[in-house]
Amino acid sequence: MLYTVSHTTTYNYDAPVSYCHNIAVLKPRKSPGQELLQYKMQISPEADEISERVDFFGNYITRFSIQKEHKELKVTTVSKLERDYDSQRESFRSEACTAITLEQARKTLQKTEADILEAKQFVLESIFIRHWGENIREYAKKSFTPGRSVFEAAEELMQRIYVDFDFVSGFTSVSTPINEVMQERKGVCQDFAQIAIACIRSIGLPARYISGYIETLPPPGREKLVGADASHAWFSIFIPGFGWVDFDPTNNQIPGNQHLVTGWGRDYYDVPPLKGVVYGSGRSKLNVEVDIARIS
Amino acid sequence: MTVATNTWFTRYFTDNTYDEMFSPDLSVKGNWKELLENFKRIGIDGLNQRQNDIDWLLEENGVTYNVYNDPNGLNRPWNLNVIPFLLHADEWQQIEKGLKQRAELLNLVLKDIYGERRLIKEGVVPHEVIYGHRGFLRQCDKIHYKLDKHLLLYAADLARGSDGRMWVVNDRSQAPSGMGYALENRSTTNRVLSDVFVDMNVRRLSEFFKEFNDLLVEASPEKIENPNIVILTPGSHNETYFEHAYLASFLGYPLVQGNDLVVREGNLYMKSLKGLKRVHVVLRRVDDIFTDPLELREDSHLGVAGLLDVVRRNNVAIVNPIGSGVLENPGLIPFMPAICRFFLNEPLVLPQIASWWCGQEKEKSYVLENLHNLVIKPIDRTNREHIHFGSLMSKAELEKLKNEIQRKPYHFVAQERISFSTAPNFTKGSFEPRNMVARTFTIAGKKGYNVMPGGLVRVAPDRNTLRVSNQRGGTSKDFWIIDPDRTEETPSFNWNRRSAIAVNGLADLPSLTAENLYWAGRYVGRTLVNARFLRMVLKQTNATESVPQEDCSVKLNILYKAVTQMTGTYPGFMEKREDGTYAMSNPLEEIFDVILNRERLGSLAHTMRMFSSSYYSIRNLWSSDMWRVFETIQKIWRNLENEKDLTVTKLIKALNQLITRLIAFMGLIEESIMVEQGLLLYFIGLQLEHSSLTITKCRALLVNKQAGQTEYEILEALLSSHESLNIYRYSYRSFIRVEPVINLMLMDLKYPRSLTFLLGRLQKDIARLPHSQRSDTLTQYEKNVFEAFSKLRLASSESLAMTKNSESYLREELDDLLEELSELLFQTSQSITNTYFNHTYKQSQLVDQNFSI
Repeated sequence: MLYTVSHTTTYNYDAPVSYCHNIAVLKPRKSPGQELLQYKMQISPEADEISERVDFFGNYITRFSIQKEHKELKVTTVSKLERDYDSQRESFRSEACTAITLEQARKTLQKTEADILEAKQFVLESIFIRHWGENIREYAKKSFTPGRSVFEAAEELMQRIYVDFDFVSGFTSVSTPINEVMQERKGVCQDFAQIAIACIRSIGLPARYISGYIETLPPPGREKLVGADASHAWFSIFIPGFGWVDFDPTNNQIPGNQHLVTGWGRDYYDVPPLKGVVYGSGRSKLNVEVDIARIS
Repeated sequence: MTVATNTWFTRYFTDNTYDEMFSPDLSVKGNWKELLENFKRIGIDGLNQRQNDIDWLLEENGVTYNVYNDPNGLNRPWNLNVIPFLLHADEWQQIEKGLKQRAELLNLVLKDIYGERRLIKEGVVPHEVIYGHRGFLRQCDKIHYKLDKHLLLYAADLARGSDGRMWVVNDRSQAPSGMGYALENRSTTNRVLSDVFVDMNVRRLSEFFKEFNDLLVEASPEKIENPNIVILTPGSHNETYFEHAYLASFLGYPLVQGNDLVVREGNLYMKSLKGLKRVHVVLRRVDDIFTDPLELREDSHLGVAGLLDVVRRNNVAIVNPIGSGVLENPGLIPFMPAICRFFLNEPLVLPQIASWWCGQEKEKSYVLENLHNLVIKPIDRTNREHIHFGSLMSKAELEKLKNEIQRKPYHFVAQERISFSTAPNFTKGSFEPRNMVARTFTIAGKKGYNVMPGGLVRVAPDRNTLRVSNQRGGTSKDFWIIDPDRTEETPSFNWNRRSAIAVNGLADLPSLTAENLYWAGRYVGRTLVNARFLRMVLKQTNATESVPQEDCSVKLNILYKAVTQMTGTYPGFMEKREDGTYAMSNPLEEIFDVILNRERLGSLAHTMRMFSSSYYSIRNLWSSDMWRVFETIQKIWRNLENEKDLTVTKLIKALNQLITRLIAFMGLIEESIMVEQGLLLYFIGLQLEHSSLTITKCRALLVNKQAGQTEYEILEALLSSHESLNIYRYSYRSFIRVEPVINLMLMDLKYPRSLTFLLGRLQKDIARLPHSQRSDTLTQYEKNVFEAFSKLRLASSESLAMTKNSESYLREELDDLLEELSELLFQTSQSITNTYFNHTYKQSQLVDQNFSI
C-alpha cells in the first residue's frame, strides 16, 4: 500500500513570540514492513536553523529554532510511505509466536542475547508509566494466567481494554497518571496504549509505545473528509523467543497496512510529535490536521 | 600526654571503635601529637579566642549555607571548627592513588554507557542499574566529546571503616559542591592558625586550584587564548550559593543564571549589556535534568533551552558533561571490582562501603531478612530524605519498605551501617569526639587525574549523631595533609589569570548582574529616602502630641498623606479602606504598619527585603567590609522586628541607626565596585530613584499652597526630611519661603541634592552605557532625561511658586511640571530596562507538560 501522509500542526499565539526552540518526532522511522519513500518538512515562519539526528531508540528527531518574532507557528510534514505489513501479521499467528507460554517467555528473558538485552529495558518503569498500582497488576493477571500463550493473553488484554475503556477525548492530558486512567476507565489512544504497556510490564514482560497514524475510511458512499485522519498510538509486546508483536487497543485489532509508524519509545514522553520552549507572554491555541491519502 | 592536656579530654570518652586522634590504648597518634603540642602552647583560652576569630571571620566574609524548607535557614552562617582534621602524607598517598583510579574508572563507565555499552552487553553491569536510573539521560546517548576525559570533576565522600582504612561511601559527579567551602576553610584557618599551619608542614591547595583553572581553559572546544568561561548557578536560594559566588570571584569568571544565557545558531551566548557574547565553557552548579528545558526537564527555568544541542555540536563544554548524574549510583558499587577488572585489569585500590543491589535474587533475600540492620537507598536518589535507616524504622515502616523493594527490586541498594570514625572537635572549651566524613575532589588534568591535597571535612552536629550533613546543621573542618619534611613554599595564586570579561569591561557585564545592580541602586535609594521621611514624620507626631492645635493637625494630615504617596501604600491616608475604616483615625498604627509590615508592598520592611535580595544576588561583587555593614543593617532591622514594646522614640532611634549604616554602606559600594563591574548601573538606579522620590515629595508637599504658619512648617519638614535645612539656612539666611525652597530642591545647579543636579549627573552616567555611544542620535532614555533636564532648566522658581490667582491654592505650573518630569523618568526606566535587561521574555512550553523526569 502506498500512502501520502500530510500532518499540519499550527500554534496561534495571542501575543508575539520572540523566539522558540522546538523538537519534532514527525519523520517516520525505519520499521518492519514499512518504507519511507519521500519526506518533506515545512516550517512557517522559516526556521533559522534546523538539524536532524537519530535518537537512542532509532527515531528521527528534528530540532529547529525560529528567531524572528511571530504570532503563528505552522509545521507541515508530507511523507510518502510504502506499507506492507501482511507478512508480519501472519507471522504473529504462527506457531512460533503463539506457542510461547508466559513461563517460557520469562525464562527466555533471562538470556543475554543482544535482542533480549535490548528489549529488556522496556520492562522498567518510564516517565509516564510508573508507580503502577496493584489494580493494574490485577487487571493484567486476569489475562496473563499461568501456562497461557503470551500472544493470546496480550490479544485478550487488548480486547478487554477496548471493551472496558471509553474513548473520551479531552478527559486526559499527556501527564494524567496511568492509575487515574485505570480508575476512570476513559481516555484516548495514548492512554489505552500506556495502560496496556503498564499491565504487560507489571507482569515482567517488555512493552513499548508506538506513535503513528491510522487511515480512517469514510462511511460507505461518502467522500472522505480532509483532516479526518489522526495521529494514533498503540503498543507492542516483546515475546521472548519470537519478537515484537503489535496490538491496537483503541480499535481492537492487530495493526495492519492502515497503521503507519512514526516512532517508538518507552511511552509518549520519548516520541511527542512536536514540543518546544517559546519565549513570549501569550497563550497559544493548537490545531492539528492529518490527512492520509491512499495512492494505490 | 602531659597533665595539662590530660584534663582537656575528661569529656573525651568514646565508645566508638575508631578515633582519629587516640589509639585504643589512649595514646595520641602520629601528627596529632604535634597538633596537641601546638594547642598546649596556645592554651584553652587561646583556642577559644581563635575559635571566636574563625567565627568572626566567617561572619565578616558572609560565608553561608542555605537550608531548604527552613524559613530561618537562608544564609545560615557556615561553621568551621578550630581543630583541623589531619592525615599523614603516607596514608594520603594511598588514598590519592585510589581516588585517581576511581575517577578514571567512573570516567570509563561514563564513556561506555553513553557509547558502546559494553558493560551491559558483556554482562559486567546489569542493565537495570543503568536503564533503571533516572540519571541515565537517553538524550545524551552517543554524544562525541573532544576531550579525552569525559568525567572532568569528581568528588568522593570518604569515611573510615571498621578496618581502619578510608572507604568510599558516596560518589558525586554532576555538580559536586564543597570545593569553594574547602578553599574558604583553608583561607580562614590559614589566617587564624598560621603559626600551627607553618609549623606542621601542611600541604598547600594553590597548585590544585591552578590546575582547576587550567582544566576550565583547556575544556574550551575552540583553542583560543581567552575562552569565555562562566559559572552557572541556580540562583541565590540554592543551598551552596555562597560557594558559587565565591568561586566566581576567586577564579574571575562571571556568575550567571540560566536567564543570562541563550542559544543561537548552535552556539551558546551570554546576554551582556552590549549584546550577545559567545560562551565556550560552563562550570555548572545546576543538576543534569534542569540544564535544558527543551530536551530535559521541560518546566526548568534554571537552564538554557537548546543547550544540549550546542553540546552535541561541540560548541561548548559543560563541566561536568550533562548526563554524568548516572554515576551517582550506589547500584554501581557492588559491581565496581568487576568493572575495575574489566577496564583496567587490576583490583580496586580504595575499599567501598559494603552494598547489596536488590536486583539480584540472593542479595535481595539477604536484604529483606536483614533490613533492620541496613541502610537502604534508591539507586538514583542519594540525598538524605530518600535514605532509610532500618534500625530507626518501626515494624510497619519496615513492612512498607519491604513491599516497595519487592515491587521494584532493581531500584534499591542496601548498605552496611558503618560506624564512622570520630575526630576531635573543640566545643565550648573542651574536646569532643564527633563522627566525620571527608569530601575529596579529583579533576582531570593533562596527565591523568589530580587530587586536591585536602578537602572538606564535615562532622556531626553533636556527639550522639551518627549522620553527617550540612543540612542538619553540622560543622566543618579544614583538612590537612601533613608532609614529613618541609615542602618547598609555592607562591599562592599567582597564575596568570586574564579574564576576558574583565578586559572588556561594562559591555560584557551579564545583563542579569546589571539589572541587579540597577535595582540595588533603586532600592537602596528608596530605603534611605523613605526612612528619612518616615523619621521626620514620626518626630513631628511626637512633637505635636502634647500640643493639640488646629494648625498642627492640618500639617500632620498633609505629612501623613505624603507618607502614603512616597511609599505607594494606597489607600493609606489618602482615602478610606475597603472595610470603611480610615487610617487617619489612628495614624500611628498606619505608620507602624508602613514601616514594619513586610508583606505590604511599598512598606519600608518590604523595600528593605527587596534591597537585601538584590544585594544578595550580586554578592560575588562585594567586599568584606560591605558584607559587615550589610549584616549590621540586617541586625538593626531584626532587632526592630523582634521588639515587643515598640514606641515612637524607639522607632526613631532604630531609623537613625539604619540611616547611618545605609550611608556607610553606600559609601562602601562606591569604593568597592568598579564602574566597569557595573557600578554605573547602580548609580543610574540610585539617581533615578532619588529623582523620582524628590518629585513625589515636592508634589505631595509643595503643590498645594497652605496658610501662613502651616506652610512654614511644611516647608521646614520638607527641608529636614531632605537633610537640607542647614544648606537652606546657609544659602538663603532667611525665613523659610516657598520660592527659595523650590529653587534649592529643584533648580539648584550646584547642590547635589537638587533635582537639576541629580538629572545632570544621570545624563552623564547614561551617556556611558554601551548603546548610548553608538551614533549621534540619542537613545530613547537619553532623550527622556535630556527633556526632563531642559524642562527644569527652562522653568523659573518664581512662576513655579505662584498660584493661578489669589483665590487658588493650587500651584498649577509646578504641578504640571512635576507630573511631566515624573512621566519622563518613568519612561527612562522603562527604556533602560527594555534596552539592557530584556531577558524577561516569559519562557513557556509549547505543550504544557508538568511532570518530573
